[in-house]
Amino acid sequence: MRSLDHLFEHSSRSLARRTSRRSLLASLGQLLTGAALLPLLPVDRGGRAWGSEAKPDSPESCEYWKYCAIDGFLCSCCGGTSSSCPPGTATSPITWIGTCHNPGDGRDYIVSYNDCCGKTSCGNCECNRNEREQPMYRPSRNNDLNWCMANADSNYHCSVSVILGVAEK
Amino acid sequence: MLSVLVHAAPPPLPAEHLSVQQLPPKSPHWVYVYDEAFDNEIDARVHLFDGDSYRRLGQIDAGFLPSVSVSPDGTTTAVATTYFARGSRGARTDVVEFTDNATLATTGEIVLPSKRAQTSPTIFNMGYSTDGHFLYAAYLTPAASFGVLDPARRAVLGEIDTAGCVLVIPWGANRVSSLCESGRLLTVTLDAQGHETARALSEPFFDPDRDPVFVQGVPTARGYAFLSFLGEVHELDLSGAQPAFAQPWSLLSPAEQGRWRPGADQVGAVHRGLGRLYVPMHQGGEGTHKDGGTEVWVFDMAAHRRLARWPMQAAGLSRVLAVQVSQDPAPILFAATEAADVAVFDALTGKLRHVEKHLGQTPWMMLNP
Repeated sequence: MRSLDHLFEHSSRSLARRTSRRSLLASLGQLLTGAALLPLLPVDRGGRAWGSEAKPDSPESCEYWKYCAIDGFLCSCCGGTSSSCPPGTATSPITWIGTCHNPGDGRDYIVSYNDCCGKTSCGNCECNRNEREQPMYRPSRNNDLNWCMANADSNYHCSVSVILGVAEK
Repeated sequence: MLSVLVHAAPPPLPAEHLSVQQLPPKSPHWVYVYDEAFDNEIDARVHLFDGDSYRRLGQIDAGFLPSVSVSPDGTTTAVATTYFARGSRGARTDVVEFTDNATLATTGEIVLPSKRAQTSPTIFNMGYSTDGHFLYAAYLTPAASFGVLDPARRAVLGEIDTAGCVLVIPWGANRVSSLCESGRLLTVTLDAQGHETARALSEPFFDPDRDPVFVQGVPTARGYAFLSFLGEVHELDLSGAQPAFAQPWSLLSPAEQGRWRPGADQVGAVHRGLGRLYVPMHQGGEGTHKDGGTEVWVFDMAAHRRLARWPMQAAGLSRVLAVQVSQDPAPILFAATEAADVAVFDALTGKLRHVEKHLGQTPWMMLNP
C-alpha cells in the first residue's frame, strides 16, 4: 500500500495541475472503480511482440498476464524484473493504471505501468499490448506517453507492471 | 603476350572530386518517413524517400521522441525534440530545429521550455498555422498546454493552458483546437502576437467511453477525419468560423462490425483531390487498436462507400503500421510495415510497385513533402 499511496500522491499532484478538483475526483474514481468494472472480454492477444521466445507464463514473455497493456521494452529482459527497474536506472514517479486478469488464480489485478528512466532504450523484448488502453486525451489510461517525462532525466529505458491490489468485482 | 593484355585493359577510372550531393527538384512522390529508432530512441531520424526512383535522398536528424511538421509552403521541416547533455543522460534541452527542405541543412532553432509532449508520433504533436506565421508545439508535463512559436523570428511567443485537453490541431491563421477527455474540442483563438483572445468548448463529437477516436487525425479537404476504434469516421470541418462535425459514417458493413477494425500508428491517409480514404484494417477485438492492418481498405469519402480491399500478405508484406498518399493526380500509396519495410503502391489500382526493405528501424508515420 505504500507504493499505492506514493503513486496516488504523485498522480494526484500531476492531475491537479491539469484538471479541476471535481474532474480530478471523477478521474480517480474511474481509475479505481471503472477499471475494475470494465468487462474482461475475450480478446485477441496478438499484440506486437519481438525478440523473446520465452513461454507465456514467463515475465520475459510479452504474453505474461501482467503486461496486458504495456508498451515498451520489458525490464525483465533488461536487468530488472516485472516490478523492478534495472540497476542504475530511476523509477518514474508518475504512471498510468490498468487492470489485468491473472489466469493463474482467476483474479483481476490493478497494476501500474511504470517506466524506468535515465538510460537509453533497452532494445530487448519489445512488447505492445493494449487491453483497455485509451488515447492520449485520457492520459491516465494511455501507454503512448513517455512516463519518464517528469523525471530529472526523462530518457526512457524500459517498462514494468506493478501489482497494486486485487480489483474489486 | 603480356603487352597484348595490357593494351586490352580498359583505361583507368578518372580521379574523383569529393562533393556533397544536391537534392533534385521536389517531387510530389517524395515522402518523409518518421523513424522513431525505438531500439535506441535518442537517435530518431526522418528519411526522405523518393517513391519513383526508390532511393533514399537524405536524412534529417530528430533526437528523442520527436515531433515533426512540414511548413505549409513545403520549404521547411520543423523537428521538436529533446537532447540530453551527455547523450543519453544529463540536463534536458527541448528545442525546435528547422531544416531547409531544398538542402536538408539545419537553418536555425528555437529552445523550448522543457515541457514538450514526448509521445508517439501524430501530426498534432506540433503544427503550423495555415499561413505559416505561427508554429504550435504540444506540451505535457503531464499538465497539458501548448507553446506558441514565431518560426520567422525564431522565438517563443507564449504558452496557452488547455485545461487537460491535449495536442494541437491548427486551423486558419490563428486558431488551435485540442482534444478533450470528454470527447469535446477546445478551440483557442489568438491575436497577432500569439496571445489568447478567446476559447470555446464544442459539444462532444465522439463518445470516449463507447468508442474512442484515434488521436492520429487525417487531413481532409476541409479539415480532418478522426477514425474511431470501432471504425466510425468523424469528419471535422474547419473551413468556417466554428468547428463543424458531420454525421459519422462507418467503414464497416453490418456483417463486418465487431470483426474488422482500423488499427495502426498512422491509421489513415486521404487523397484530398479524389476524396479517397485509405485505412489499414485488421480482424480483432478490444485492445487491438494498435495492431497493424492486414489489408488496406479504400473508401470514397463523399459516397461513404468502400472501393477496394487490398490484402497486404498477398503482396508479401507484414502488418501495415502507417499509410500516406501523395496528393498528385497519379498518386502513390506508401505503406510502412511492422518489418520496417515501406511498400509503394499505385494508389488508384492497388498495384504493388516496389518494397523498400528496412527503411529505418520503426517507421511509424509518413508526411507528404
